[in-house]
Amino acid sequence: MNPNENHASAAKRAPAADPMNDLRLSAARKRLAESRDEQDAIEGLREIVGNLLGCEEIGLFKVDPRSNSFSVCWSFGADLDNYDLSHALGATGRQRVMQGNCHIELADRDRSTGMAKAQAFVPIRVANQTIGILAILRLLPQKITFDAHDMELFKLLSEEAAKPLFGFDFHSGSTPAQPEMKP
Amino acid sequence: MSKKILVVDDSRTALMMERQILETRTPYQCVTASDGQEAVEKAQQERPDLILMDVVMPRMNGFEACKKIRQGTNTREIPIVLVTTRGEESYMEAGFQSGCNDYITKPVNGSELVALLQSYLGE
Repeated sequence: MNPNENHASAAKRAPAADPMNDLRLSAARKRLAESRDEQDAIEGLREIVGNLLGCEEIGLFKVDPRSNSFSVCWSFGADLDNYDLSHALGATGRQRVMQGNCHIELADRDRSTGMAKAQAFVPIRVANQTIGILAILRLLPQKITFDAHDMELFKLLSEEAAKPLFGFDFHSGSTPAQPEMKP
Repeated sequence: MSKKILVVDDSRTALMMERQILETRTPYQCVTASDGQEAVEKAQQERPDLILMDVVMPRMNGFEACKKIRQGTNTREIPIVLVTTRGEESYMEAGFQSGCNDYITKPVNGSELVALLQSYLGE
């Protein structure tokens, strides 16, 4: 089964109206908007992904627009020093995220640990460009996979996280500041 | 007079989410604390009807706070629901040993949370 077919069907399927999901999106939006600085925005991102999605292994990558290469700028719960995002995405995934779409990898549960192996790569976008990628690397055991509501959360992060995370000034059109973020 | 819930979490996002659920989907009043130590103090001051508390927090974690609240003369009967990312059986057992009444895992399902609160506090 092509995992992206699953993603496509999940993403295209209009989620049933759910006031609880609206509250979840509202909390995420408010937390990002209220971030005091880039470090606080990173903490907000960790809280959103941990509390509202159910993942404690996360990486945030910055895209170099000149070379189209990726560099880790922050991680939580996973050592990404030797992690190859290009390899993890593959050519198709890379194309998807650079075009502004989430890339989802679905795999069977690990029988030894019982952990789900779904992963998501969420483009962080500004001015129709992908300037960063949020990698959701391992879900908590009680979170089986991603659903249509999660796709809405990813869309929100994709569209609204750039400014708090990277200090991008939308109005000046200036290039994003190079953040200095530590785990 | 509406019943009062003390929501305890060091995550501003979790507090926002749970507060919004309580304020928009239930008749309960909400007060908050951001760590276990503050939870113990607020439990004594506010005398909530129920405590909804995270486990992994700075200063004092949810298990320790739960034990302290159970030791307080005025707070020992307050129902405590622990909320955490850790769903392992050993973790849940530690939660019940600390004196909690219920244990739910993150990400919190809002509808299930409301149903659980209603089972303790009524409509």
